[in-house]
Amino acid sequence: MNMYLIGALVFWLVAWALNVWLSNLKPTRLTKLLVPVIFGITLLVIWEWVVRGLEVKAVLLPPPTMIGVAFVSNIPTLWADFIQTFVKGALSGYFIGCGAAFATAVAIDRSPFLQKGLLPVGNFVAALPIIGMAPILVMWFGFGWQSKAAVVVIMVFFPMLVNTVQGMQAQTSMQRDLMRTYAASYPQKLLKLRLPAAAPFIFNGLKISTTLALIGAIVAEFFGSPTVGMGFRISTEVGRLALDMVWAEIVVAAIAGSAFYGVVALLEKATTFWHPSQRG
Amino acid sequence: MNKFLTGAMTGALALTGFAAQAADDVTLQLKWVTQAQFAGYYVALDNGFYADEGLDVTIKPGGPDIAPAQVIAGGGADVVLDWMPSALASREKGLNVVNIAQPFASSGMMLTCRKDSGIASPADFAGKTLGVWFFGNEYPFLSWMSQLGLSTDGGDDGVTVLKQGFNVDPILQGQADCVSTMTYNEYWQIIDAGLTADDLIVFKYEDQGVATLEDGMYVLEENLNDAAFVDRMVRFVRASMKGWKWAEANPDAAAMIVLENDASGAQTEEHQKRMMGEIAKLTAGSNGALDIAAYERTVASLMSGGSDPVITAEPTGAWTHAITDAALN
Amino acid sequence: MWQKFGPVLTVVLAIFALWYVMAVVMNANWAYDKAKRADVELGFSELVVDTWSQKKPRLPAPHQIAEELWNTTAMKSITSKRSLVFHSWITLSSTLLGFAMGTVLGILLAVGIVHNKAMNLSVMPWVIASQTIPILAIAPMIIVVLNAVGISGLVPKAVISMYLSFFPVVVGMVKGLRAPDAMQMDQMRTWNASKWTTFWALRWPSSVPYLFPSLKIGVAAALVGAIVAELPTGAVRGLGARLLAGSYYGQTIQIWSALLMAAALAAALVMVIGQIEKYALRKMGMAR
Repeated sequence: MNMYLIGALVFWLVAWALNVWLSNLKPTRLTKLLVPVIFGITLLVIWEWVVRGLEVKAVLLPPPTMIGVAFVSNIPTLWADFIQTFVKGALSGYFIGCGAAFATAVAIDRSPFLQKGLLPVGNFVAALPIIGMAPILVMWFGFGWQSKAAVVVIMVFFPMLVNTVQGMQAQTSMQRDLMRTYAASYPQKLLKLRLPAAAPFIFNGLKISTTLALIGAIVAEFFGSPTVGMGFRISTEVGRLALDMVWAEIVVAAIAGSAFYGVVALLEKATTFWHPSQRG
Repeated sequence: MNKFLTGAMTGALALTGFAAQAADDVTLQLKWVTQAQFAGYYVALDNGFYADEGLDVTIKPGGPDIAPAQVIAGGGADVVLDWMPSALASREKGLNVVNIAQPFASSGMMLTCRKDSGIASPADFAGKTLGVWFFGNEYPFLSWMSQLGLSTDGGDDGVTVLKQGFNVDPILQGQADCVSTMTYNEYWQIIDAGLTADDLIVFKYEDQGVATLEDGMYVLEENLNDAAFVDRMVRFVRASMKGWKWAEANPDAAAMIVLENDASGAQTEEHQKRMMGEIAKLTAGSNGALDIAAYERTVASLMSGGSDPVITAEPTGAWTHAITDAALN
Repeated sequence: MWQKFGPVLTVVLAIFALWYVMAVVMNANWAYDKAKRADVELGFSELVVDTWSQKKPRLPAPHQIAEELWNTTAMKSITSKRSLVFHSWITLSSTLLGFAMGTVLGILLAVGIVHNKAMNLSVMPWVIASQTIPILAIAPMIIVVLNAVGISGLVPKAVISMYLSFFPVVVGMVKGLRAPDAMQMDQMRTWNASKWTTFWALRWPSSVPYLFPSLKIGVAAALVGAIVAELPTGAVRGLGARLLAGSYYGQTIQIWSALLMAAALAAALVMVIGQIEKYALRKMGMAR
């Protein structure tokens, strides 16, 4: 055991104790923010000291400080990659894919014939592993962001469809009877009961889709891309053994993905505040 | 879960030092998937040349996400195949790999263009779209372009670069005017897809003076201080070169051996036999020892990269003749 | 019979018709290109025949894929490395191992998050962040590290499957375990139920309808993980290796047949979970 490893262990114990103490306090906005931050810092410190303590080669796993330096000194490159992959590829694909899945779910909800016909087929088609679709879609839609958006569309469609269809059936028979006593028309039933009842499920699908979208856009770039983009940078820099740059790109992906998820989660809080799961 | 954690921790520990090897095991990491490009090693394995030298050799196929240098740094292989530019770039990143043998005398890399794109010479590249391999294979291309004075960021007086996938689709689908090909592999995929040699114009890196030394054998510098390791490498190189010369003399039989070893079952006999024929042209004329003149030419071309050279300092100790001298006398 | 299969059959037939039309449209360019270079005039019927029988089409016609599938499954012994059944089994085994590991990890994390305040606050944001790390980027690293200690073959691939499949399970389970509403929780409190009883009698049962959709997504993700993992392990065996080799040699027919095989595998896995879901919900009196 050397000093770095002992330091890492001690730091972990202290931070853990601090977190337990903090989360047993009356929950405030500050503790809610502080606890995950302390947890994250702990992970980073342990990583840094273990890498240094064991003298792991930087071409295998660089320490966080090195990644930080690479991040700060390459901000223009990282920004261009972010725009190309996240804004152009992931976001546009996310909106098209989730929109299409939602529209499909509502459409087949109306028609039992389509529901019976499309759902099993849709399950089968959408279960295609994206990794295999990526080279085909690059061949069809070219090397630009369009093919990446296409991959994202296919990737998010399935979880979104399953969740929405599931959600549309999530009313109790009592609620349905109530609607019948009101002599509610189909659109009324849809807007006043079925969609609100489905909201928690829909948001579940939307949240899972946020992370899938980012992964899809990045992975698709491995199969051909212009010389910009997060996936391009990662695969190129791994080949050049510039692992600090690879991790800087991963940091960008993590920040962008978490922020994306956070926005959807906030939207969920604002729209489904009535659901038990939001009241904790 | 526990098992994984323990495994990961032992892994982290093992990375610190070079794990002790059983007496005569050698692990070779290929640069790409199992194909005739590596015929010499498979021949040496299947014909018992390695066994004759008292070696138990494991050949690990590569793939698009495998950086051989990273594998050797992690202790996953004793010797790896790599291209000289990417090996020298790894040295600048602090990973000291050393070339111990160079079975390939000539480079098989070229840029293949459609004639109807209006390209007749490198002077016509400006404003065109070129497909390039990355993952450490882009260095020869970058140094060529900087010698031509072309920027790789697009525009009228530069070239637009696409990161080519693993195939030649961009030229078939008309997404690129030129794509990177190897004489022994991708070029024939274009021909197989239906374009004829008359439709194409090729620029060999060899002819353009930017050829690089491909598929050399590299080991970690620190291991060369270990006499037992050096001894194993001497026997390994000797048996491998025997395999290569056998493959050159019996290309069809060598191709069948490769096919036998391809676990993906995706390779075809026709393609592998043709590939072996082309590979034999590249390995002919090398006895395994690195050609110093070719090495110095590669270094000079990599350092003359204009504003963004691939390597910044003249490398020292990047090659050794110690192994080949002992193996080939 | 018609009631049950009619709609599916109609949709499938419509897709096949569309597929054949698309095959003509997408492969036409290449057919014209070839004809122009050979100086032949191409009539409509020749065009159709050519686009449905190209060696490396942009979109292969269904019968080409069916032929390839037949040749690589029924016509080969299942132990042959040219058999798709063999490759499917390789992929399936790491998928199942990874899925099992991912489900257990996901459920444990969810239980921890729901019951432990410190975990709730600290772990959840990082679970989400973990999924934004592109798996292809870390897959080679996992493989390199595990290989360095001599662990190779099934386990590294399963770890990557686990990494992708535990996330939907955590998200679904946290939601499910918190699904009991305040009235139900109050009821438990009036009975002075212990945390343990509350969990088994209320939280766990009410999480089941949330668990199964998550499992369906999780198993599909595990399959994707296994396929992704087969690329950096040297593209030796498995459906991922077939996809890669097909892509590498521009063998579109081979890509599509591996792809359909993978899709069939995914559909079968999802279907099995669907059946278990039906059975479980019926037994628990929650079937609708």
